[in-house]
Amino acid sequence: MTATRAILLKRLEAEALQIRRNVWRALHAAGGGHVGGSVSAADLLAALYFHILHVRPHEPDWPDRDRFVLSKGHANAALAAVLVQAEFIEDALLDRFYGYESPLGMHPDIKVAGVEMSTGGLGHGLSVGTGMALGARIQGKAFRTYVMLGDGELHEGSNWEAAMCAAHYRLSNLTAIIDANKVAQSAHVANLVGIEPLAEKWRAFGWEVREIDGHDMGQIVDALDALPFHAEKPSALIAHTVKGKGVSFAENTYVWHSNTVNDEILARALAELETR
Amino acid sequence: MATTTVQTHDWRAQAANQTRLAYGQALLEVAARDPKAVVLSADTQDLLGIRPYIARYPERFVEVGIAEQNAIGIASGLATTGLHAYVCGYAPFISARSMEQVRNDVAYAHQRVVIGAAASGISLGVSGGTHHALEDLALMRSLPHMTVIVPADVDEAYQATLATLDIDGPVYIRLGGRVEEPPVADPTAAPFRLGQATRLREGSDVTVIACGCMVEMAVRASRTLASESIGVRVLNMHTIKPLDREAILQAAAETRGIVTAEEHHLTGGLGGAVAELLAVEHPTRMRLVGMPDDFAVVGPTVPLRAKYGMSAEAIATACRSLLRAA
Repeated sequence: MTATRAILLKRLEAEALQIRRNVWRALHAAGGGHVGGSVSAADLLAALYFHILHVRPHEPDWPDRDRFVLSKGHANAALAAVLVQAEFIEDALLDRFYGYESPLGMHPDIKVAGVEMSTGGLGHGLSVGTGMALGARIQGKAFRTYVMLGDGELHEGSNWEAAMCAAHYRLSNLTAIIDANKVAQSAHVANLVGIEPLAEKWRAFGWEVREIDGHDMGQIVDALDALPFHAEKPSALIAHTVKGKGVSFAENTYVWHSNTVNDEILARALAELETR
Repeated sequence: MATTTVQTHDWRAQAANQTRLAYGQALLEVAARDPKAVVLSADTQDLLGIRPYIARYPERFVEVGIAEQNAIGIASGLATTGLHAYVCGYAPFISARSMEQVRNDVAYAHQRVVIGAAASGISLGVSGGTHHALEDLALMRSLPHMTVIVPADVDEAYQATLATLDIDGPVYIRLGGRVEEPPVADPTAAPFRLGQATRLREGSDVTVIACGCMVEMAVRASRTLASESIGVRVLNMHTIKPLDREAILQAAAETRGIVTAEEHHLTGGLGGAVAELLAVEHPTRMRLVGMPDDFAVVGPTVPLRAKYGMSAEAIATACRSLLRAA
């Protein structure tokens, strides 16, 4: 590994750890919330915002910016954390998560700097992202669009309408990132309605697919650097992740899809994050 | 902004007074005047008469196939990049099926998306209840910041579509199906003004507030009642939202009651909007003409409308009933 790459990965891992700290902190301020699916996405978000996305935090409406849509909007604590760390929004806002008239509620709001679409109802983001990618093509712009989906979210049929359409239009400027943490609100996804074979589904819909360990920063960076995976297809990056990643008692359980975060739980979680 | 005069006589003969085709024709002028306009179709290229548009502006056209949820989501995404999206869809599907996308991606996210919804009401009578849209006005006008327009004839549909050039937000335009609707008035007589009802007939006894295909029936009813010495004011309430409060309150003050008429369920549409306003601001004796709480049987549209009480005769009967009670 070159020294430059080692420095990059170390920096991104530090940002990812800080996203996890900020998620726990924000959801403690909120009294609780969607911990599991927020921290599963932390490494992916760190790589996107500190290595991939061409954005201007102090000019959030810059027309040529890359677009990131968090279709799994319940992970808003992670999005808010990375927007704080990238200096789109004030750090103090995390202490007002879910607060009265706070810009930061359970789900993203387009009125917040850096948020590209109000999401939360599942199965919306990929259509919107397809529109953004078509908008770039129609206007001859080079920006790229990234949509992060949950694996459980893929139950929503509207995703597959968008997947079919994006492939039809050969939107190589569109990337779907699936945070495949395997767990939904009331059970493991496979025990609700199975979605496998997932990679084959995306391929059958006309997408170029790669699968990675979504917590291995080297794999994440290599995959994102390789985009687009195909010159005439949209790209699907299936990132295998662990729900609740980083805190043992929150990992791989539907209980921590959303749960209470009191003082004691926060202390235990932050302590574990420092040791792992 | 460059202005282009589009010759309208050829298409009007072809359109045979179908508002859905006027929308498609108007999109040519919209695109000529607004370089940011882009049109989406959900397998509705002939339904809304957009083949001339597609031929002229292929680079500003997106066919999404039979996928209305995706159509609305894509329209929103296009709008976030600065484009002005015009969606072509079937009213029953582009409203009810896509309702969450319209609410979240368009209205809540406040994106500049115009929805042209053809085949509304029971204009596809023989298609049966799956293809009737009798609740779309209730759905659309319940959304904050949504503009809802129901043109009464082709000229109004054309003008209403052009009016969207100045609306920086979501719009729902309710259009008809394959039924010829008689023109309401001399097309040059009443320029379309968004949010301002058009007063088509003067009268001091009762006011009929109508929209869409029921406007022409309201005018006919007023003529019938004139022969009975009943003076009927007729308001064409083409904009359901924002509602022309002043015209309604003035009619309530100056006439003895209000009859509303729409090709829509009696719950939640034009009648509901007028009743909500008057109940609070100026309690007024009312009659509501529209589709009762039922699904329509299969049949040709015009007799179906009459069967369910959506006719000039029904409007006249409602006016007489109201005046007897007043």
